[in-house]
Amino acid sequence: MAPAVLLLVACERSGIEAFNPYEFQVPAHFPPPTYNLENNPITHAGFDLGKKLFNDPILSRDGSVACSNCHAQAVAFADPQHRLSVGIDDRIGIRNAPPLANLAFLNAYFWDGGVTHLDFVPINAIESEFEMGEQLSSLVEKLNGHSRYPSLFRDAFGDHDTINAPLVLHALSQYMNLLISDNAKYDQYVRKEVSLSTEELAGLRLFEKNCTSCHSGALFTNQQYANNGLDTVFSDIGRALISEGLADNGKFRIPSLRNIALTAPYMHDGRFATLEEVLEHYNSGVKASVTLAAELQELGRQGIPLSKPEQARIIEFLHTLTDYAFITNELF
Amino acid sequence: MKKLLFLGLLSLSLFSSCNNDDDNPSPAGPGTMEIEFDNVAIINGIQRQLSLKEVGSTDYNYENAMGQDFNLTFLRYFISNVVLEGPNGERFEDPQTAEATSSSGYYLVDEATPSSQLVKLENIPAGAYNKISFTVGVSEEGIKEGAAGGALDPATNGMFWNWNAGYVAIKVEGQSAVSAGGAIGNTIDPENEKGLVFHVGGWKDIEGTAFVNNNQTLSYAFDVSAKVADDQAPHVHMVMDILQLFTGQNEIDFTGNNNVHKPTDGKSMAENLGAAFAFDHIHQ
Repeated sequence: MAPAVLLLVACERSGIEAFNPYEFQVPAHFPPPTYNLENNPITHAGFDLGKKLFNDPILSRDGSVACSNCHAQAVAFADPQHRLSVGIDDRIGIRNAPPLANLAFLNAYFWDGGVTHLDFVPINAIESEFEMGEQLSSLVEKLNGHSRYPSLFRDAFGDHDTINAPLVLHALSQYMNLLISDNAKYDQYVRKEVSLSTEELAGLRLFEKNCTSCHSGALFTNQQYANNGLDTVFSDIGRALISEGLADNGKFRIPSLRNIALTAPYMHDGRFATLEEVLEHYNSGVKASVTLAAELQELGRQGIPLSKPEQARIIEFLHTLTDYAFITNELF
Repeated sequence: MKKLLFLGLLSLSLFSSCNNDDDNPSPAGPGTMEIEFDNVAIINGIQRQLSLKEVGSTDYNYENAMGQDFNLTFLRYFISNVVLEGPNGERFEDPQTAEATSSSGYYLVDEATPSSQLVKLENIPAGAYNKISFTVGVSEEGIKEGAAGGALDPATNGMFWNWNAGYVAIKVEGQSAVSAGGAIGNTIDPENEKGLVFHVGGWKDIEGTAFVNNNQTLSYAFDVSAKVADDQAPHVHMVMDILQLFTGQNEIDFTGNNNVHKPTDGKSMAENLGAAFAFDHIHQ
């Protein structure tokens, strides 16, 4: 009798409490967030402000480029069309714009991991001469002189004298922190809501055997840096730019694979157009170098032997990481 | 006898600390202390105020230990983690906060802004203090708080690295007769044929990697104790000898090292900071 009463109480409680889409909730199978949300609690007004800023080309020097230009929801906030990011005056960047999801759980950002707090991520895009080409101080000036932004910032953050850069960055973080992708078919499988097909399960087994030393856990990355054998000579030294250590030459952040079927092209420089090319690279294209990942030379040769049917199964599994609810969520 | 002497001392000290209000024998309340960071050039044992020159000036008023003439156009550094200690176990840690609209405990000392050179510490427990320690730079604790206002505002402090995100500990810019030019900084551009730029940053400590943490935590003893109470606000003069930035542990040669922007390149100046700063005197 007692358990039934408890259940009833629990049901009533959840029925009474309105669903709050702006509440940050850690998915059950995710690690704890790295972002300290007590420093910047997500509110309806703060999230909406961050979303407006994310989509507003006012962030760029000439009003031509918004964050959403290179981070489009339809493709999981990756660049919908360019191999390398394209900024103001059609300037070409040096790396592929990564998809954005589950950022609140990461410990570093960008392909080289040069930024270790989400708040500081947008500064790079805003001030890069290849991206938005704007000064943070000039952006703050534009927002303070804008007809609507000052009242939107007061709605989001209460009383303050003027808009400052940290408030702009906090608003953007509120928006980005809620970009949680946890409802792909794979997640539903983990929650025992659906089953995977025979092919997908076969792909999962192959993936677990060959890929999870790097693409591990619910985020599908161990958040480390690796040289996956793209080159023997590095035109972009990657992680070594930040660590200044030769041992990091040619290493890049191991990316999450969530929504990977939507986020072509692949690798830091977008050199592979399809997942088939990526899998074939691991099978036959891995090039030797001093810093090549140990996992890619375990068998006395470079790479991971994967037959074409095995590659196809893995790709079928990777499609189960596509989160259609995420890319169509009207909140974003 | 010992007890009597002790009581005698106690009453004496009570008397002196309560001389504004003899009827109130309660212990002295917390007070304030001002730390002045005076940027100087000590030449032949004589301390002179630092004198910044105009950008482009070929009036070289200083000479490094290698005999290379130079001047400075810009000098800015962060002071944080300020701790005071006394001979009887007194200890005061300046609280640090970092919020979007303000921060505290992080001080940006800018040679061009005299008011920035006065660091006012508040709410210090009454007592005698004869030692100070502080960090030149903003350490990991400040960075993991995320975007913050006040001295930490990246849009206004001119001390933030975007690419290797964090705060630069110290920026020193100027011109030297022997510089090859091409340097770039807050006041120096590549067209400046004699530019000198030293941006000393890098805060990551990751074991087993090449990362260089250039934040320096330095400690200095006072020659006498600074007495703090609700009616006693000592003023401590620290000096920073800009000539020592280029010598001491590492000689810095302006012919080959005139445009520093990476942690490994900044290490040589960071290691000179301990000798560049010094305690000078106290106004009680």
